[in-house]
Amino acid sequence: MNLMLNILLNVFIAFFIGSILIGLQRKIMARIQGRPGPPVIQHLLHTLKFFIKESAFPKTAAMPFYVAITAMLFVIWVAAVIDGPVTEGSLLLIFAIYTIQKIGEHNAGSSSGSPYGKMSCVRAVYSAAAEVPLFAVLIIIYLKAGTMNISSIINYQSIHGPLLFTIPLAAIMFFVLILSKSQYSPFAITKGKDIVSGYETEHFGLLRGYLMISESIAWYMLLWVFLTVFLGPLSLPAYLIGMVVLSAIVAFINAVTPILNPNHSVMMQVSFAFIGIAGSIVLLMI
Amino acid sequence: MDKLKIISWVLFIVSIGSILFALIFNPASWIVYTIALVSIPVSVLSFGIVGMAKGNKDDEEGKRREPFIGY
Amino acid sequence: MVVSILGSQIIGIIPLGDIVFYMTSFNLFMFAAALVFTFIIAISKTETQIEAEFGSLGDREIKVAKKEFKFRRFLAIICGLATAGAMVTGDLFDFTLFVCLIGIVNIGIVGAVKQVDVLDSAFQYGLIAMIASTPLFVGASLILAATGTISILAINSLTYTTPMMLFGSILLFLGVAGETGVAPFFATKAEMFRTPGSPFLLIIHLSSLLIIVRVIEILLIINKPF
Repeated sequence: MNLMLNILLNVFIAFFIGSILIGLQRKIMARIQGRPGPPVIQHLLHTLKFFIKESAFPKTAAMPFYVAITAMLFVIWVAAVIDGPVTEGSLLLIFAIYTIQKIGEHNAGSSSGSPYGKMSCVRAVYSAAAEVPLFAVLIIIYLKAGTMNISSIINYQSIHGPLLFTIPLAAIMFFVLILSKSQYSPFAITKGKDIVSGYETEHFGLLRGYLMISESIAWYMLLWVFLTVFLGPLSLPAYLIGMVVLSAIVAFINAVTPILNPNHSVMMQVSFAFIGIAGSIVLLMI
Repeated sequence: MDKLKIISWVLFIVSIGSILFALIFNPASWIVYTIALVSIPVSVLSFGIVGMAKGNKDDEEGKRREPFIGY
Repeated sequence: MVVSILGSQIIGIIPLGDIVFYMTSFNLFMFAAALVFTFIIAISKTETQIEAEFGSLGDREIKVAKKEFKFRRFLAIICGLATAGAMVTGDLFDFTLFVCLIGIVNIGIVGAVKQVDVLDSAFQYGLIAMIASTPLFVGASLILAATGTISILAINSLTYTTPMMLFGSILLFLGVAGETGVAPFFATKAEMFRTPGSPFLLIIHLSSLLIIVRVIEILLIINKPF
């Protein structure tokens, strides 16, 4: 197939399925909390709706940085789609993309001059300190599979069985990472409602819609990486089912947990990371 | 038509043009990657800026000055 | 000759005398990201921070003065270039030098502000960065002593890991952790972000996270578990 067409198609699928999954998660959360909840396509509709809303750029913002940072967030997730579903390249690159995403979050918050954004920016630094160790799960995958290449990891799993069963603690670590990136997560301190919308507070109108597109792609990509790296070669329907199941589990957890205070959230994530890394290495040695 | 609109029209046409170029002529893969990384986000952003609604002039100033306090 | 590093193929090397830059898709992406962020910072205005006034309903704007702005922009660009260099260098000693430069420049970026608590945390971070430079260079030199080379490409082709290489890389990691202010040391660093002047603070966070990702790559190259 034409490479460009392949990329375009994958980006579109990532955006479309990502936003439907986020909508589904909100629906499940609402039902658990005894509310009717928004329709499943609500997140998609919101994203499109923001593009035709009235927009203005705040006077206090650091231009053009304020706009460029939203574009950077989109660029890195397109890079993730190219590295992931399109070419099945390096897993280390996904790690790099994730850290740059944390930087994007941080700076979307601080570029506007709003105190809420600033608060979210300081919290993003804290949460980066906790989520980057969680991403160190990659080291354990490397220790087990001996490669950092996604297609080689898939090959390894088709011979030795899914990594989910051989390094379960690493899978849990990655799941905690997915959980902390989800909407309304107990670890979502950068977007806590006590600071309005966190780093997105000042990005309204079309920039919000733009940010939401990259959010949807990010959600799809994290689920894709989890399913690919821990469950091995999957068919298309299996991917879909896996993503729906993961979103449902995340929705259950988010519906029943309150958002943690920043210090507790960071300590909890770091503890998960520590137990995960140390435990996995001990398990590998036995 | 202000400066922002003109710039985004130009960016929009250039990015859509480069995507079409990659689609039709199928150049070397690294060129396609570069075009995909730059053009897809730029085209969406510039499309948004071209199509976004603008408030009337008097409200506009207030929104720009105190976005997180007023309205 | 096809050389692969951690499963991804090398796109090319740039031989500059002793210093060899090598690029895989991973290095290239991070190099480009560091340069793009540096460029955006170089052309951006600074933010105007809004703070609530105590005891009244008003709020005040905190602007960054022009002289301070220019000084910080200069340091931020240096920091961005050093980060970009550290992403592609294939020389371990070069990498430690870049990391050290980043540590110094990071203090400089917040050293120009006039808020006492921010200066305090910058001072504490500076102490840690200074202490951390010892294990940083000792780690690199222990790896040189154990392998006979500081070229990461040459180390990549070795087939064994000696305990001394492991010890050296632990020291290297400790050094980088202190120098960039992550995990156990991040608390002092997070306070530095409260100061106004957004786009320049970006580079502090950017450099430390990218360096951490890169050092993980280097440590995985040095220590082969198989």
